[in-house]
Amino acid sequence: MNTQPFLEDAEDLYQNAPFGYMTMRADGLIVNINATLLGWLGFERNEIIHQKSFQDLLGMGGKIYFETHMMPMLHMQGKISEINIELKGKDLTRLPTLVNAKRILDHSGFQSFYRLSVLNITQRKQYEMELIKEKKKAEQTVQRLRQINQELEQFAYTASHDLQAPLNTITGLLGILKKDGYFSTRSDGEGLFSMITNNIGRMRLMIKDLLEYSKIDGNELKFEEVSLNEVCGFALEMIEDQVNENNAIFTITKLPVVIGDKIQLVRLFQNLFGNAIKYRSDAEPRVRVEFEENGDDFTVFVKDNGIGFDQKFTDQIFGFMKRLHSHDRIPGTGIGLSACKRILEIHGGTISAESEPGKGSNFHFTLPKLENNTDH
Amino acid sequence: MSNKIILRNNIKFLGNGLQPIVFAHGYGCDQNMWRFITPAFEKDYRIILFDQVGSGNSDQSAYDFEKYSCLKGYVEDLIEICDELHLQKVIFVGHSVSSIIGILASVERPDLFDKLILIGPSPCYINDHGYHGGFTRQDIDELIETLESNYLGWSSFITPVIIGHPEMPEYSEELRNSFCNMNPEIAKHFAKVTFMGDNREDLSKVSTPALIIQCHPDVIAPVEVGEYVHQKIPENTYVLLNTSGHCPHLTAPDQVISSIQSYLKN
Repeated sequence: MNTQPFLEDAEDLYQNAPFGYMTMRADGLIVNINATLLGWLGFERNEIIHQKSFQDLLGMGGKIYFETHMMPMLHMQGKISEINIELKGKDLTRLPTLVNAKRILDHSGFQSFYRLSVLNITQRKQYEMELIKEKKKAEQTVQRLRQINQELEQFAYTASHDLQAPLNTITGLLGILKKDGYFSTRSDGEGLFSMITNNIGRMRLMIKDLLEYSKIDGNELKFEEVSLNEVCGFALEMIEDQVNENNAIFTITKLPVVIGDKIQLVRLFQNLFGNAIKYRSDAEPRVRVEFEENGDDFTVFVKDNGIGFDQKFTDQIFGFMKRLHSHDRIPGTGIGLSACKRILEIHGGTISAESEPGKGSNFHFTLPKLENNTDH
Repeated sequence: MSNKIILRNNIKFLGNGLQPIVFAHGYGCDQNMWRFITPAFEKDYRIILFDQVGSGNSDQSAYDFEKYSCLKGYVEDLIEICDELHLQKVIFVGHSVSSIIGILASVERPDLFDKLILIGPSPCYINDHGYHGGFTRQDIDELIETLESNYLGWSSFITPVIIGHPEMPEYSEELRNSFCNMNPEIAKHFAKVTFMGDNREDLSKVSTPALIIQCHPDVIAPVEVGEYVHQKIPENTYVLLNTSGHCPHLTAPDQVISSIQSYLKN
């Protein structure tokens, strides 16, 4: 085996390296070019050296880029790297390249020249174009989805809002019928009347919840520092009647301050507190709110002594319009907890629950701590 | 003096004189491009350097795509800078697109400016019925494409994000170009605003005396364009330098300095 050191011939290495080389004057005039680059461009040496400037090899867009960015950078920094620019070959073929350049001084030390290394990136470029195309497509899709979402929110809001008016009219008309004696007591009419009013009540609840839900994404958010204790206070005020009717007792420990939208957080607690009362057991409702710190998050617990539910239904209860009980047994729409889930998604948190029938429920959710929440 | 504007435009002060001279860089660069010129003026002038919003070390968050969708946004900024710094009888030196920004500002507020020095001015880059701007619409589209594929060329803003440690400057500093930083989206937007604008009508409204500094050949602002500006601005002096390219203040700073000095002396 020949172990003699392999000696490179400098000129041969320059001319035939698997890389393009070029040297230009400060004004761009090409004073040297290697055989590899000549081959890529399809020019003869004498057509280039002292005949063409680097700019002559560029399209108009490339020329502007060269004059406004590359050249100033070269003069100020003495080097540039990874500039992606297209060179025009002799037969006007386009050669996508990646160019690095560095300033050198000539032997006299007065005039500066620039050495360029030119990498042919035809295949890379193809790949890049595909990536750019896919990126644009993805951006357009996101844009479209965003718009569709907005329209849907608007639709849900308008539909539920507009359903209220005819429902109010129906309620009013029924009242007149009742007053005028169309549903006399102890008749079939009375039973039917009570079914109609029940159904109207159910529809009213459904519209109210749908409206609330559509407002979560529909309204503009205002992220600010919010005390969760204050938020719990507001939520309790909103359901004061329910609390009093059921003799419910809420124990709220000291809770943290978070960054969030106050209105939405009040809605979150209002839903959870409302459920704790609605799904009460025979015992008077006792609800305890406390929190823990875990890494970057706070975890808030809302524990009750209600009827509880089978753990296997945990995912289901957070589903949109999903319920474990019939409306006749416990009225509801199945929107409240999915609204809670959506509110937490918006706040960068998650919600879950543990329960066992007859043993109460423990709803808990996470919210990011203050310092990690500055993006909002 | 408003700190907000100083930060927004990364305003820097040099020199020991009283006469204010404001330097405004062109498209694709920042105030660093005046580094070979300013030393000659430090003794006698109060030099004000700044970065156009979106370029260099200006406050990127101040880049409002709406405001800067035409040169008017930049004109407002320039006037604000002069007003905030209480500058009077300003000598304004503008390169490329900033020479047009200076022209528009002087039309709006002639009281602020004493002289305009315009390096490579072009009121309209796109050819139009007998007017030779040097470019076609397609050329500008091609530039936008080049900018798009040079995501990394302007990349100091992007790199730390790619590395994923925007909070760890020691990683990003190394990769950062020290000059001419520009967010790629802004680079594209500013390119469109710069190269698709048409301010030919405004030239005749200039009442401030101007010096036009022209190179030959200059691909970006060809001699024909320089001569056009020379014909249209009422009171001006036209100097054709013995150098090529679009940035004589970088390639032939001595010629630029002596042209400005001899113009100001008269």
